[in-house]
Amino acid sequence: MNIHTYEKTWLAVSMVLIVGFIATVTYGAVGPGIAMIDDDGGSIDPDTINDDERFNDPGVTHVGENEYEAAVVAQAWTYTPSEITVPANSTVTFYVTSRDVTHSFTVAGTNVNTMVVPGQISEMTVEFDEPGEYGILCNEYCGAYHHTMEGKLNVVPQDEFDLTELSTDASDEAQLGNQTTINTTVSNDMNYDLETTATLEIGDQQSLEQDVTVPAHGSETVEFAVDTTDLGTGDHDWTVTVDGHEESDTLTVTNATEGGDGDA
Amino acid sequence: MRISKGGLLVIMAFLTPLIVELRTVLSWFGIRLSVVETGALGLALIGAVLIWALWPSNGGTEAKLA
Amino acid sequence: MAMRNAYIDQFPKEARVIRAILWSSFLALTIGGTLGLIQGLHRTNVLRFIPSQDYYTVLTAHGVLLVITFTIFFLVGIFTWAVTTSLDRGVKDIRFTWGWYAIMMIGTLLVGVSILGGVVDQIPMNADVLYTFYSPFQAHPAFYVGFVLFVVGTWLAGFDWFRTWWAWKKDNPDERIPLPTFMALTTMLFWYLSSIGVAISILAFLLPWSLGIIDSVNPLLTRTLFWFFGHPVVYFWLMPAYMLWYTMLPKLSGGKLFSDPLARVVFVLFLILSTPVGIHHQYLDPGIAEGFKFIAMTNTMFLLLPSLLTAFTVVASMEHGARQRGGKGYLSWLKALPWRDPAFTGMALAGLMFAAGGFSGMINAGLSINYLVHNSWWVVGHFHLTVGTAAALTFMAASYWFIPQLTGKEIWNRSLGLVQVVLWFIGMTFMSNAMHRAGLFGMPRRTAEPQYQGFDFEPAVGTVAEIDAQVALGAALLTLSVYLFITNMVLTTIGGSTSDAIPDNTYAGTLSGPEDAPVIIDNLKLWTSIAVVLVIIAYSLPLASIIDAGGLFGPGIDPWKPSVVADPSLVLESVRGVMP
Repeated sequence: MNIHTYEKTWLAVSMVLIVGFIATVTYGAVGPGIAMIDDDGGSIDPDTINDDERFNDPGVTHVGENEYEAAVVAQAWTYTPSEITVPANSTVTFYVTSRDVTHSFTVAGTNVNTMVVPGQISEMTVEFDEPGEYGILCNEYCGAYHHTMEGKLNVVPQDEFDLTELSTDASDEAQLGNQTTINTTVSNDMNYDLETTATLEIGDQQSLEQDVTVPAHGSETVEFAVDTTDLGTGDHDWTVTVDGHEESDTLTVTNATEGGDGDA
Repeated sequence: MRISKGGLLVIMAFLTPLIVELRTVLSWFGIRLSVVETGALGLALIGAVLIWALWPSNGGTEAKLA
Repeated sequence: MAMRNAYIDQFPKEARVIRAILWSSFLALTIGGTLGLIQGLHRTNVLRFIPSQDYYTVLTAHGVLLVITFTIFFLVGIFTWAVTTSLDRGVKDIRFTWGWYAIMMIGTLLVGVSILGGVVDQIPMNADVLYTFYSPFQAHPAFYVGFVLFVVGTWLAGFDWFRTWWAWKKDNPDERIPLPTFMALTTMLFWYLSSIGVAISILAFLLPWSLGIIDSVNPLLTRTLFWFFGHPVVYFWLMPAYMLWYTMLPKLSGGKLFSDPLARVVFVLFLILSTPVGIHHQYLDPGIAEGFKFIAMTNTMFLLLPSLLTAFTVVASMEHGARQRGGKGYLSWLKALPWRDPAFTGMALAGLMFAAGGFSGMINAGLSINYLVHNSWWVVGHFHLTVGTAAALTFMAASYWFIPQLTGKEIWNRSLGLVQVVLWFIGMTFMSNAMHRAGLFGMPRRTAEPQYQGFDFEPAVGTVAEIDAQVALGAALLTLSVYLFITNMVLTTIGGSTSDAIPDNTYAGTLSGPEDAPVIIDNLKLWTSIAVVLVIIAYSLPLASIIDAGGLFGPGIDPWKPSVVADPSLVLESVRGVMP
């Protein structure tokens, strides 16, 4: 076969280009260790997502010194959780699965990008160096309102980050003279115990404090007993503060004679 | 004319990507052009090419074949 | 009267069927192009006159009509020309040819009507599943049946050409396969091989599932089978353009093809490498091990080789043509090319844009950098340069040569044709350039309103509004270009007068002919066997592990019919309902 000299040169240069491309991708995988989405996440029956240990309470969990895991459930047309907060200088492994059709989990403008196929769990480890705010979007068509599917990723400075969450159970209304309680459950998703003080401020007068130790990946309920006699009738705003997190509401103290069925 | 009408049309077409991406390239050197400035620069370039193309060629050394 | 020797004079029966096929192709182009303008204006928020939910119906129709109907109808028409012209004999039985064309038309109509059901309430069908129809989206069975019929039509078309070749071989036992026939046959061989994937996906899974015969499918499996076909199909669109660049462009330039043997090598490489690369569309898929993605990446990179060789041969052939026409100098020869001929200029511009599309394709092929651009608007910019220009513009340009061959009439207005192809180049420059850039800052593809509540995109240079304006302008110019093209074709066909000046039906000669190629290159059985082996290497383990992990019919995946459109706020309520 007779090949022109120029064509031979071109052929050689083309081969160098091709081998060069393969070499750089190989180096990226072996050297800096750029990992691809693969089959490590395993498979899952979408109907069992609610029973799954990882996905029954999706969100961020602390697993090692600067290491976190984030479980995300995608479905038309939302992510749960829709807002994810992680600290800077951390390594976060995302586990994402879909309840219905194929979605993506894509942090806009970055290479944090995976398909989310029903029946599969996408596992992806990301290093976050700097604080910043990013949009999360779905880039795979997932139905009529595909364009509304979005989320938020906040990378916050390490000292502003914790995994403490409050949820408070308290009555809206109490009768004068009775005692009522404000129960705050403090959950801690870090892998060490949280030792802190819970403070309740109610009305203008009362301020109660309690020390609390929340175990790693556990929760603890703080019970504040409120004496309505001290408060008097009327609306009283209250705030529970734990580790910089606040929950607030209003307690209405009524006279014994009026509003007996608790029409708050 | 130094070039056939068809050739001139193709050169004009080639200018499009150059003009569109000129401002991207310039921004690398810290020169930020507005859309209007880019348009003006584009028109100037097109004008320059037109003048070049329509200038009578001297001696006809470059044969027009197309 | 001078003896005219156009295609219509040589093969009047075949010319009739090819005309019908090309008109089907042009009709798809006109409708699909118009839908593209609706999308371009909607996404960029320049003009929104359809509800955003219907955007996806329009997008499905745009994709299917342009990348399946327009391109493949053109392919079967032009391959019929190539086989009959280069073998210098008609098809064996013209009724068979009309038969496969009819099957393809029925398939197209079924698919078209089921998609149209997404916006027309009177049609109780829906197929808003996009061109990729990923399960668990479930389309109306008519969509799947139509798709299968269309593909079966192409299989029969291939059989038609093979049959013609076998008959020719009997009469010419010692001759080399003429180059255009060689190209058509090798293309069909990888098409047979790769379309098995989509056939299994539809016939074994999606169609029975849509008919309620099976309850569940494995989304990763049907998706992988789709891409088994989905990458080779892009070469299926491209191969007619390559054939035209090899066999017509050198002739239009005034010269000869640089090398026949290398052209054959290129098509053999496509036969071998087109299929075992589909997983490069699934670099971001869970459930596929990294090693399999690596194999697909390596094969994809080697698939650059035939395209790089084509770039050389095409440019070398053009330069040869220019020098035959008196061109001189290192670059001045460019001026000697026939820039006034829309067929030449369109193909040359298409080839140039394909080079740009090839570069962005190399980025896509890069396993790691692909994570930055996957499913972003970048990808849309890429394939509007490849199928949307390398194929589409070449086909339109070639029509300025073919329609006179098929009708015996002169083109109605050749200057308008020149303006049309140049307009396509300019429009595509604006549109695809802006799409590429938008992809780099993360703007997604396939999205009706890429404007989000919680964040904004941050371009490195300029603004999102400028990018949007470029896309809208580009889309408008491209649509105008399609309308100029179709007007020219209609007026040529119905209004043009029969001319004796139509050139003879020939294709380019070669500087280095088939006698320079070893005989083994024409051994289609050998290359097909190698292609099959490579496909087995690339696909058997990934498919086995997907079936092993998720089951043949998936872990209880419920179908999702896109017709069930709910209000997002209601959906959010229901989400709260299902979350623990």
